[in-house]
Amino acid sequence: MQTFVISVVTIAISIGILGLFLIIFFNLNSFLSSWNQQVQLIVYLEDNISPAQKNNLKNLFGDNSRVLSTEEVSKDRAWKEFRLDLAGKSELDLDLGFNPLPTSYRVRFKSSDDRLLHIREFAEKIRSEPGVESVEYGENWINRFEKFMVFCRVFLMATGALLSFGLILIISNTIRLSIYSRQEEIELMLLIGATPHFVKIPFLLEGMLQGLSGSMLSLGLLGIVYYYLKNEFQTSIEAIAGGMDFQFISQPFLLILVGASMLIGLIASYISTYQYIQVLNKR
Amino acid sequence: MIQLFNVVKKYGSGSPALDDISLKIGKGEFVFLTGPSGAGKTTILKILFGWENFEEGQVLVQGINVGKLDAENMHTLRRSIGVIFQDYKLLSKKTVFENVAFAQEVTNRDRKTTKFKTWEALKNVGLTPKKDSFPPQLSGGEQQRVAIARAMVNAPPIILADEPTGNLDQEISLEILKLFEELNRNGATIVFATHSRDILKLGNHRVIVLNRGKVVSL
Repeated sequence: MQTFVISVVTIAISIGILGLFLIIFFNLNSFLSSWNQQVQLIVYLEDNISPAQKNNLKNLFGDNSRVLSTEEVSKDRAWKEFRLDLAGKSELDLDLGFNPLPTSYRVRFKSSDDRLLHIREFAEKIRSEPGVESVEYGENWINRFEKFMVFCRVFLMATGALLSFGLILIISNTIRLSIYSRQEEIELMLLIGATPHFVKIPFLLEGMLQGLSGSMLSLGLLGIVYYYLKNEFQTSIEAIAGGMDFQFISQPFLLILVGASMLIGLIASYISTYQYIQVLNKR
Repeated sequence: MIQLFNVVKKYGSGSPALDDISLKIGKGEFVFLTGPSGAGKTTILKILFGWENFEEGQVLVQGINVGKLDAENMHTLRRSIGVIFQDYKLLSKKTVFENVAFAQEVTNRDRKTTKFKTWEALKNVGLTPKKDSFPPQLSGGEQQRVAIARAMVNAPPIILADEPTGNLDQEISLEILKLFEELNRNGATIVFATHSRDILKLGNHRVIVLNRGKVVSL
């Protein structure tokens, strides 16, 4: 019983670590997607853009079914907004004697899962149009964030693999202890004609039960921590990323975690019982 | 039924525990296996039910080539053999009834038949009044009778007994011998390992004598 409890607690800690990483990952992902929905494309125009070139751009925006709205920002309005933004934030003298900002279009897109990809493709198309000076949609920042998310994914997988390997070792040792504590009974079972399968089943079930109990315990504790953090920090999170909800591990991943944990228990106990029976039956 | 051909068994690098043993035991025979300690009696029995490997030779039990059986299929051999040990090998936390029923549970026999067969086996060894007792509460002779009931409950064609009277006084030993003889009369082949001359004298059966891993007389 003691070894069972130790094993369950170890599994709970390992699954807890993995679960914590998953929560962080999910929330970063959700932050990225909520931020993505706010991304708009700004098309800066050359000062000497001709009316025909402007019309051509307007047509391009109009022909794109995923464009929600287009707004033209004149040089004067851009300068006004810039000065307003900076007011009180900087002591810079902004009286340059001329307006350095170009006229631009602010293009908003409809919400969709591949919204960012579409903006990226559309930006590339617009960039080469005559009369366009440059396009801007926070490309560098998004690229960096996406690279970071790829790193997170790899990190999660590596941590998951390492923890799984560690868990297999721990559970197989616990099951081995359990086998030794029932050695007399197992030997007798084999002596009187039990199949290896018959001997293995209780231990396989024990391994799976350890996995199930460990993962449930850990997810229960993670749930408590999650609700505490959500109550304490939801307002601050909303202030940073408007409309973003602090998320728990999604249901499919919860099932995957519990399933993987039971599978690890099964594999670990299979290894120990298989080795033990092989030795006993062919000593 | 049981055949050994030039069997050699070694433990480590010393002299072999079984040295080129060949013997044959026919169906329905009652055979005593005797010899001093270390002669190889227990080793032969262990080889017969697949609990020990051997280096050379061939062993056939009920037509099964024991040396060729892998761990996954060993149960097919063991289900045709009932084994009785000097130290009884009873599970101390199970009752007498549960110990005997256990031998059927591992073969997945249904509950109703298990109950019936267990009763029958306990009746044959005269232990029904003790069915709810635990092994430590029984005398040596009673414990050995439980072990015999467990070995016979699945009606195996072969029964191997390793010094089954080794811990018992003469009167009880005679009772136990009679139980084996009754099993033999019912058709079981019995291989009874003992070093007790009294038992050999009491039972009028074929005797195979071993000494230092060799067959001295068949």
